[in-house]
Formats: sequence, structure tokens, C-alpha cells
Amino acid sequence: MPAILTARNVTKTYDAGRSGQVVAVQDLSLDIEEGEFVCLLGASGCGKSTMLSLFAGFIQPTTGEVALRGTPITGIEPRCGVVFQSYALFPWRTVRGNVEFGLKMQGVGRAARRERGQAFIDLVKLTGFEERYPTELSGGMQQRVTLARILAANPAVLLMDEPFAALDAMTRQVMQEELLRIHATSHKTTVFITHSLDEALILSDRIVVMSPRPGRIKAVIPNPLPRPRHVAMQITPEYMALKSSLWQLVEAEMAHHDETSSPQD
Amino acid sequence: MNVLLLAINFAAVAVVLGAWWLSTGQGWIAPIFLPSPGDVLHAARIKIANGDLLTDVVVSARRVFLGFGLAAMVSIPLGIVMGVWRPAKAIMDPFVSLLRPLPSITWIPLSILWLGIGELQKVAIVFMGSWIYILLYTYESTRRVDPLLLRAARNLGAGDGAVMWEVILPGALPGIIGGLKVTLAISWSCVLTAEMIAAQSGLGALIWQAKDWGNLPLVLVGMLCISLTVLVADWLALRLELVLLPWERGRRG
Ligand SMILES: Nc1ncnc2c1ncn2[C@@H]1O[C@H](COP(=O)(O)OP(=O)(O)OP(=O)(O)O)[C@@H](O)[C@H]1O
Ligand SMILES: [Mg+2]
Repeated sequence: MPAILTARNVTKTYDAGRSGQVVAVQDLSLDIEEGEFVCLLGASGCGKSTMLSLFAGFIQPTTGEVALRGTPITGIEPRCGVVFQSYALFPWRTVRGNVEFGLKMQGVGRAARRERGQAFIDLVKLTGFEERYPTELSGGMQQRVTLARILAANPAVLLMDEPFAALDAMTRQVMQEELLRIHATSHKTTVFITHSLDEALILSDRIVVMSPRPGRIKAVIPNPLPRPRHVAMQITPEYMALKSSLWQLVEAEMAHHDETSSPQD
Repeated sequence: MNVLLLAINFAAVAVVLGAWWLSTGQGWIAPIFLPSPGDVLHAARIKIANGDLLTDVVVSARRVFLGFGLAAMVSIPLGIVMGVWRPAKAIMDPFVSLLRPLPSITWIPLSILWLGIGELQKVAIVFMGSWIYILLYTYESTRRVDPLLLRAARNLGAGDGAVMWEVILPGALPGIIGGLKVTLAISWSCVLTAEMIAAQSGLGALIWQAKDWGNLPLVLVGMLCISLTVLVADWLALRLELVLLPWERGRRG
């Protein structure tokens, strides 16, 4: 299959004022194939969000190139829809208004917008909260609105920055199952950032492990777990074995991180 | 808790009123320095009965409304343009720096020379005293719109126009309205200054003429009336805010 998203020798340095320059990502190359589900895994500060921002066109690489279907990404790219780590909901729009925003921008008519928006509000289990404003919702609910908003806009690529981090364990499982289902039907190319090995294993086709200072790819691990997948798989011996071998690979990178899941839990 | 605070409010006012009543009633303070509450009430009753007070309030309010409204109409669009387009800011910056330190009272000589002492001159003084504040508040609020939301909007396919209408305007609106509320009080002080210096009507003129006649109770009536009018205006502004900014209702409780 052809690569849809590519990073070629990408380096991104930030000016950090007096403390000089921060190399967030160094000489990173990555091909993401059409329909692939890739998880970016790595300790805090290793450049995961930076990679996502590069793919979304929010920032430009200092050197190197990112491209979508072979065309360099030089500005904000609506075909790469982003689920933001910090939600980025419009405070002046209700849940419904936020979810319908992308459709409105695409010129979808009012009635069709309503209907499609409602389907995604139902999907993320926010039925009944349509007329609430984001400040009136819990963090986990806001996170689900962000998810519904981007799914409704239906971009070619999904870029998700720890989209389930604020959810409780139950809701998180439900959302993972939904995402698996959506991916199974739409085969939408997805780049998904997570700190959780379990989440990476259950969702991804490939796991890209990054290491910090400077941000590089430490390992790219194909995920042999068969599809269709189910959260219940996590108790099978095969899964356990896979997880513990993956754990050994990423241990050094994850050891210092708070949200690390260990193979024992 | 709220009831307790309200009770403290009332108690504080009652104590001050009581002290006023007692000190004037007992003759500790001579009426030429501070009239008694009764005298003030009496003066107010006369002025209310013959309709003069209401006329003065309406005249002043009209001047504020026109000058302030005009300033808002000019400064809000200008401030937004300055916020999103740097050259506009560069054009306006020197004028803002030069004009901002001037209190509106310094415009009185020129405004009388150019516009006489009619309504237009009062409106102009209010305008000159208000527009820069509205401009600066609007500019600041526009700059402060969360850049993450601008990214999110563009990521969802918004073009320049949509970013303006869907993100920058609603994002800046709470700040702009906050600025308008602050400026409204400034506008009131502008109109009163203008009326004290050259006017036959309005609350400022009422106070100044009462002073000339040595009618101290009437001076106090005028002052009280200004406070009440501004309070009513603030209350109206708050209502308007609740309608215009429904998403902030949670924050206000
Ligand atoms: N706008 C910025 N200006 C300066 N430095 C930045 C900026 N954004 C990120 N950095 C730095 O770049 C590095 C990578 O940041 P990034 O946000 O990509 O990490 P991350 O892997 O997403 O971390 P986390 O898991 O905590 O979200 C960090 O050292 C961070 O301090
Ligand atoms: Mg991040």
C-alpha cells in the first residue's frame, strides 16, 4: 500500500527564549500507509505532539519535509483532522454547535448537519447534553465532544493526541471499542498518541516508540495481534506475552513516566 | 452565607445613614457643610414632583448614549482590525499614544470653539473621552483569543471569514463587553464634566447651578442621582451580557 503521510528527515527546533533552542524532534523519518493505525508511544516531552502538529501543518519542520499523499504540508491541513490533547472546544458553542462545526465549514445544510452531528453525539454517549456549553461538562465529556467533532468532520486522516487520557477506565474501553469499530469500517488512516501500552496494543497496526532529548524513533514494532480485536483480548496469554516483550523494548523510555502501565497490572 | 453578606451590606449603609442623620440633627455639623438627610429628601421630592430631575437624567443619558454609542461604533471595528492586521495597529499606534494621556476635559476649549455649546459639543466630549478605551479593550481582547482555537477552526476547514465570525468575534466578545462596561462609567464622568462647564441642562448642570445658588441639598440630590443612574446602567449591561454571552453563565453562577 502507498504511504499517505510521510516525514522525511524531519528536525524541529523551538526557540525557548533565554534557555536557547530545544530540539523537539531530530532527523525523524516515518511512512504511514493508507488505512494504517499507528500509535506513537514515548515518555513526556519526546516530541509526540510536535510530530502531530507537523502532520497537521500547525508548524513547519526546521529542516526536512512532511507530506500528505506526496504533497508537502505547508499550511494548516483540514484533511488531517486533529483531536487536541487540551480539547480546544469553542466555549461559545454548545456541544451540538461544536460537533457540527466542521460540517458547517464544509457547507453542509442545516438539516443534514443536525442529523449527522446527532449521530456522533450519540456515538460518544453524550445524548441529552446537546445544548450544554463545554464549561458545563466534565473533562472526560469534553474530550468525547472533541472526538465527535472530528469524526463528524470526516477528514482523510485522524491525528489523535492522547484522546482518551481524561476518561475513566470504563468509558475509555467503550471509546476504544468504538474506535476499533470505526476503523474496521472506514479504514481511516490514524495516528494516535498514547502513554498506555495496552491502548497501543489493542488499537494499532504498528507502534512507533520514541525517545526523548532529542526526539527520535527508537523502535517501530508491527503489532501481530489479530483483528478483529476486542478489549477482552487483554486477558489472553498470547496478549500477555506480546505485552511483556513490548514492555522490555520500551521500558527504558517509559520508566520515568507517571502514566506508565506495567505488564503486571 | 449570601444572606449574611446582604445583611452586612444593609447594616453598613444603615450605620452611615444613622451617623449622618445624628450628626446633622444634633447640630454637630453645620447645614452649610452637610445638609441633613431630611433636607436632601425634601429637595429631591420637589425636583421629582416638577419633573426637572427626570428631564436632567434623560438629557444626560441621551448625551452619554450618543457619544458612547458613536465611540463603540467606531472603536470596536477599528480595534478588531488592529488586532488581526498589524499595519492597522502601526497606523493607529502613534495617535493612540498621543491622545490617550489627554483627559476629555482638555478637549473642552477646542470643542466649544468648533462646535459651540450645544448638544453636539457634549456628545463630542463623551466621544473623545471614550473611544480610546473601547479601542484598547477591543484590541486586547482580539489579541487574546486562544490561538489553539484558531488552529482548531482552520483544522476543521474554516477560511478567513469563518475564522473571523466564528472564532475571533465570539472569542473577543466577553473582553469587549467588559471594556464597554468600564468605559460606560468613564463616559458618564465625561458628560458631567462637560455639563458643569457649559450647559443649561443635565445632571452636571444641575449640580453646578445648585452650587451657585448655595443649594447644598440639591447638590447631593444630583450626586445621588448620578450614582443611581450608573447603577441602573450597570444592571442593564449585566442583563445584556447574560443574553449575549450565554456560555459564560456557568462562570457567573
Ligand atoms: N511551542 C514550544 N516552544 C518551545 N518548546 C516547545 C514547544 N512545544 C514543545 N516544546 C518542547 O519540545 C519538546 C517536545 O514537546 P512535545 O509537546 O512534542 O512532547 P510530547 O511527547 O507530546 O509530550 P507529552 O507526552 O507530555 O504530551 C519538549 O521538550 C517541549 O518542552
Ligand atoms: Mg503531547
